[in-house]
Amino acid sequence: MNDQVQMLLDNVKQFCEQNIRDIALNIERNRIPDQIFSALREQGFIGANLPSSSGGADLDRASYDAILFQIAEYSPSVAYYVYMNNSIILPLLLKAGKKELAADIISGKERVGLSAGNILEGVGIKTTFQETAIFPSNFMISAGSDGSIALLKGTFEESGRKSLGLRGLGIGIRSFSVEKTEKIGRKEDMEKIFVDSSWEQAAIFLGLSQGAIEKAVEYTKVRKTFNFPLKDYSPVAFRLSELKSDLEMMKFYLFSEDGDREKGLMLKTRAADFSRKATKYALQYHGGYGYLEDFGVEKFYRDSVALNAVMFRTDVDRRILAESIYKSKTGYL
Amino acid sequence: MDFDLSPELEDYRKKVREFALKEFREDIAQKHDLEEKYPDDLRLKALENGIIDFTNPWKTMLGIEEMCRVDPGLGISATVPYFGAEILLLHGSDYLKEKYLSKVAAGQKIMGLGVTEPGGGSDVAGLKTNAKKDGNRYILNGSKMFITNGSIGDFFVTLVRTADPDPPSKRHRGLSVLVVESAFKGFSSSKLKGKLGVRATNTAELIFNNVEIPQENLVGEEGKGFYYVMEFFNISRVFVAAQSLGIAQGALDMATEFLMEQEKNGISVSEELKFKLSEMATRTEAARLLMYKAASYLFNYKPNPTITSMAKGYASETAAFCAETAMEITGMTGLSTKLERFFRDSKIMEIWEGTSEVEKIVISRMILKGDGNE
Ligand SMILES: Cc1cc2nc3c(=O)[nH]c(=O)nc-3n(C[C@H](O)[C@H](O)[C@H](O)COP(=O)(O)OP(=O)(O)OC[C@H]3O[C@@H](n4cnc5c(N)ncnc54)[C@H](O)[C@@H]3O)c2cc1C
Repeated sequence: MNDQVQMLLDNVKQFCEQNIRDIALNIERNRIPDQIFSALREQGFIGANLPSSSGGADLDRASYDAILFQIAEYSPSVAYYVYMNNSIILPLLLKAGKKELAADIISGKERVGLSAGNILEGVGIKTTFQETAIFPSNFMISAGSDGSIALLKGTFEESGRKSLGLRGLGIGIRSFSVEKTEKIGRKEDMEKIFVDSSWEQAAIFLGLSQGAIEKAVEYTKVRKTFNFPLKDYSPVAFRLSELKSDLEMMKFYLFSEDGDREKGLMLKTRAADFSRKATKYALQYHGGYGYLEDFGVEKFYRDSVALNAVMFRTDVDRRILAESIYKSKTGYL
Repeated sequence: MDFDLSPELEDYRKKVREFALKEFREDIAQKHDLEEKYPDDLRLKALENGIIDFTNPWKTMLGIEEMCRVDPGLGISATVPYFGAEILLLHGSDYLKEKYLSKVAAGQKIMGLGVTEPGGGSDVAGLKTNAKKDGNRYILNGSKMFITNGSIGDFFVTLVRTADPDPPSKRHRGLSVLVVESAFKGFSSSKLKGKLGVRATNTAELIFNNVEIPQENLVGEEGKGFYYVMEFFNISRVFVAAQSLGIAQGALDMATEFLMEQEKNGISVSEELKFKLSEMATRTEAARLLMYKAASYLFNYKPNPTITSMAKGYASETAAFCAETAMEITGMTGLSTKLERFFRDSKIMEIWEGTSEVEKIVISRMILKGDGNE
């Protein structure tokens, strides 16, 4: 890891300590509050990876991933918000020549959400995002039934149901009344952007794993059963040490490798699986307290599975990796 | 060896499934999950419809499984008002059975079991709540943590220290079970909110501040509490295996339905996903057989703690595995269906009534003692 990345990690950690730590629970309960959006903007995190010509900070891959990693340790919801703007929404809008809206997003004037599902097109209709809407907003980017990607303007209805994870983003099936639609690209563009952001996705998986593991390490130092701290029991100590070792190795890879597409896919695949395992053990070693939101560990468990659903399509992404390795059509049966 | 259930049990299983499918509607399950509200009406309905049947423990076990298969939060809520009843049944005086247990069976009261404390759940003998004898009553001080039905229960079968352990290294000595009414002066409870899952169930911390407990509320003999509770866990762990199995089966049902739908819509399903489904189904079946074996020992009055802990430990891990794997198979779709609730509910199985680690401690201890199951 180079000095610049280390410095950035330290700075972002400080940012999270000051801005996120004390309200992490609140973010989960009531969605990301405005103060966080302003703080992210002031720090230049929105647009961090984009060229300065587009109003971005021109950060290199490892530095941008350091931001995502570090924020995910405190709040996977906030990290995903930064990722979805920087890695998906803004590149799509810029490619479609929608510079003004992009600038408004970077400056915090507008917010845009994402939906994976097909929408019924047409102005004046009320459509429901059959597949989950992420960060429902007045602007939504969604796939159209004709293979296009559309930018919709309109209003959405809140739903009472809480999502499994990333609750700060208000994920869920939502009804949306469309006032305006505009085609801004093809599904293939979205797919390419998604696959090309494997490093960023890996950074979030690893950041949230670190959040969970650190909590478990601290807890097992102080919690005693049968007169011994939990860390004295070999299964607890060995498992957490193994998780920490795996994490450190993947972090090393994340921050020192070049941004090769295939390597990114490899890391994402490992990190996605790893995050589920790490967060599960972290919760388990908290015993009954791990089951309560106040302890801040169950959130990582939920978020890891929700993020797996949102960022890691188990069959599709594994096949893309396999095809990259075999350099031919593979793994389709 | 016969793996079939008797026609009577098969009929009962069907009856419970029909009940659960009719009463545990998705909107009801969602509401109770969101609001963290106990479904008292379902408790009474289950009782009125003969769904809760204590005359036959096989029925209790199968009923729990079938209800949790439809919705774990509601299924557990319908069956948990009786939590701890076996301790009273096996060791309570006629007076206690009449005054407390009969009322629970009649649906007039809700009970709970108070073992875990803020300082520890796995280490049962390390508990701190104490009851000092004072004439013909005990004065109770301390607290209990994570108690199911804690803020809705009428009384709690509670494990407390009534004497210093003798010798001090034998900490499981000097513990006794008392029946503590929530109406007793000095009793208070505070509901724990923000649980990951089983949010329809009620969980609370109990505080005892100089609570006076009449001598008659001692269950069985003084100093035998630890043994009663361990004996109880040998029974209840079979029922937790049933809860777990319900969750595993429910998750399997949903993953199967999802993949069948994909195939119906002409989307080819990879072997990778089919293999995951096979593993879920195999583990669920293996867990079921272990549970039946544990139940068969237990219900024939030959409890086998090794097999019971294996059944509980394996079934609970299977529940968590199946729910997680079903989430993986269904991806984004699963996020917005009841499967995500199953996933959240499943994790508690590996924690309550003996964590997975505690089950492994029991199993290895018994094997190393040469219990004949190795
Ligand atoms: C929703 C809910 C409902 C509950 N209902 C009840 C109830 O009705 N009545 C009741 O009495 N209790 C109840 N419990 C408590 C539950 O039984 C305890 O949470 C459980 O026994 C674990 O105890 P603990 O939480 O204190 O964890 P701890 O005992 O502190 O254990 C923490 C972690 O360390 C591990 N560990 C401990 N010792 C060892 C060791 N020697 N080797 C390896 N690992 C070890 C444990 O497995 C666990 O992973 C409930 C809990 C919850 C969350």
